[in-house]
Amino acid sequence: MNPEATTKTTYRLPIGPIHPALKEPVAFEFEIDGERIVDVDVSLGHIHRSIEWAGMRRNPIQNLYLAERICGICSYCHPMAFALAVERAAGIEVPERADYLRVIQAELERICSHLLWAGVAAHEIGFDSVLFLTWQIREKALDLTEYLTGNRVTKAITMIGGVRRDITKDMHPMIHETMNYFKDNFEKLRHVYLDDKTFKMRSQGVGILTKEDALKLCACGPTTRASGIKKDVRLDQPYFAFGDLDFDYVTPDVLTGEVNGDVYDRIIVRLLEVKQSIELIEQCLDQMPKGDIVSEPKIAKLLATLKKAKGEGIGRMEAPRGEVFHYVKLDGNEYPYCWKVRAPTYSNILPWMPMLRGEQIADIPIVAASTDPCMSCTNRVAIVDTDKKYELNKEELHRLSVEKTRRLMK
Amino acid sequence: MTKQLTPEEIVKSFKDEFKTKIKDTRIEKHIAGTKKNELIHIWMNVDRSVFKNVVKHLMTLEEYPHLAVTSGYDMGKTIKLVYHFSIYFGVRYREISLNITVELPKPNPTIETITDLIPGALITEQEKQEMLGIKVKGIPKDKRVFISDDFPKGIYPWRRDEAGPEKMIRNLHEVKK
Amino acid sequence: MRFSMLSQVFSQMFKKPFTNKFPAKYIPSSTTKFLEDVGAGRAKTIPPVETPPNFRGKIQYDKEKCIGCKLCIKVCPTEAIEYKEKEKKIKIYLARCCFCSQCNDVCPTNCLSMGNEFLLADTDKYSKDLIVE
Repeated sequence: MNPEATTKTTYRLPIGPIHPALKEPVAFEFEIDGERIVDVDVSLGHIHRSIEWAGMRRNPIQNLYLAERICGICSYCHPMAFALAVERAAGIEVPERADYLRVIQAELERICSHLLWAGVAAHEIGFDSVLFLTWQIREKALDLTEYLTGNRVTKAITMIGGVRRDITKDMHPMIHETMNYFKDNFEKLRHVYLDDKTFKMRSQGVGILTKEDALKLCACGPTTRASGIKKDVRLDQPYFAFGDLDFDYVTPDVLTGEVNGDVYDRIIVRLLEVKQSIELIEQCLDQMPKGDIVSEPKIAKLLATLKKAKGEGIGRMEAPRGEVFHYVKLDGNEYPYCWKVRAPTYSNILPWMPMLRGEQIADIPIVAASTDPCMSCTNRVAIVDTDKKYELNKEELHRLSVEKTRRLMK
Repeated sequence: MTKQLTPEEIVKSFKDEFKTKIKDTRIEKHIAGTKKNELIHIWMNVDRSVFKNVVKHLMTLEEYPHLAVTSGYDMGKTIKLVYHFSIYFGVRYREISLNITVELPKPNPTIETITDLIPGALITEQEKQEMLGIKVKGIPKDKRVFISDDFPKGIYPWRRDEAGPEKMIRNLHEVKK
Repeated sequence: MRFSMLSQVFSQMFKKPFTNKFPAKYIPSSTTKFLEDVGAGRAKTIPPVETPPNFRGKIQYDKEKCIGCKLCIKVCPTEAIEYKEKEKKIKIYLARCCFCSQCNDVCPTNCLSMGNEFLLADTDKYSKDLIVE
């Protein structure tokens, strides 16, 4: 790992898209001077599946299921944002009970996603037992999702004009039992993640994103809230029933009183959001009004209405990772004329450049994982010297990260 | 934080500044929840010659407007781009979405970049260049972002005319084992 | 607080592990022999975790009630349903089905429902187990 030539020039490390150790393909080029990163260049598109082109050949109900498979973890937010866009383009009104049911499912997905992220972050630092503890707690959330919707991941509960399944009174005890389980275990998680000296050493002061950079690069989600900016679609432009509920923006100064914009702040923001989601679900169950769950139960009639509709609409939602944005243009045909999808990681890629400059190679996994990318990141590093070639694969990079933890612990 | 204007005042300030170059404005108000809070979407059609000044005028209303993405579609003789901005975030119930449509003629589809005003617009402008075949003048990094480098030049996936991807489609269920 | 997880790790040593060891406690040295043993009754598999009610498993088709209206074909996102012209009934290919149950909702006579079978893996896309008609 030590290059023999000690010149003053920097090395360029291409990290290739296709590799057996990568979880999701993305290509990087780092410029490295010793152990410090000088510059970063990201290139995307290795998992481009032409979903928007396929959406122009399917009717809106088929597009709901296509949208669900854009991402595995935010698999509730994409069909919901699409349904919001179509409802606003076609002028379909959603009943009140459906709004509350949609909120419960959205917050449950947020809990699952943040717990998954917490486990992955602990694994990148080197704490595998915390990974297993967090994912054991997450299993309860997935069991509840399976009970309410029929499947653990692809929930298929969205319908244009409402939801497909109701939450009846006999399902309430199971929901309350799961919420109490989360509340009992939240203190355990908070103690491990926020009070532990090793977590603090690895994450404080690392991967800083300043407030101005985050505003200029249009970042969204917990990445930008951790830099102190109050940007949350649920509060800024309340959709579903969020306008009726009682909650506030989550920024790190709620807990610690100061804002640094580093990895530690992002951990704080995500754990506090889990607590907020539990409270929101309980508020919804108390306040749920009676009524229909969908505005048009006969699907043949719904398809006929959508076939005649003309207009354009946008749908924005706060996914666990940020803002999901869909734009749909209908023009009186069976298939939509234009459909644009923007996943939250699209906006959160550009902030990687100011965050990674000046950091060490061993910090790459934790900094990139702290923005919770919906495609996994730097794993393979190839150092090309004049006549030698060294290769570090995912295990080596992970080992570097763990070794740094051990060094700091001494 | 500058003073917050109502949607009607926002539209009026654009129309006063740019007169006839702004057309087809409309304000949509949608409701949600039991308390029926309003969501406001403003749509307007802008001439491409004043587009960059429109964005500069928008930055006087909000110092760092949030650009979500730009959508684009092929209308036969022209290409339409829609820029989705949103302003006044940070205070509950107050955000307003602003959608600016620009129409480009097909023989000369060029538009000016806004990355010097909003650096976060880089990826979305690169995507429009490769998907629709438009040219963004002054873009800092001119490279393909979503399509691989060996895809043939001159074929643009979102176009519906002869520059579209029709020749490159393979139906998998017709492929023999 | 260097060892904040220590108390957790200790208490875990005395608790039952969370994993459900499906199908067997240890990997058998020969999978085909293990399956033969199970078939003959010589070995037992540990069953998977119970599925809740309303689980979306393998689709079940009641042929008599079907009227051949073709609405399910119109809404299927994966085009997994084929129409048989002469009998006016349908044929569902499970190799393409994505288990969304949209066809259940659309059917006017309620002849489709979702069962709770999910162990459907097979080596041949068009085998008898993977076609419902």
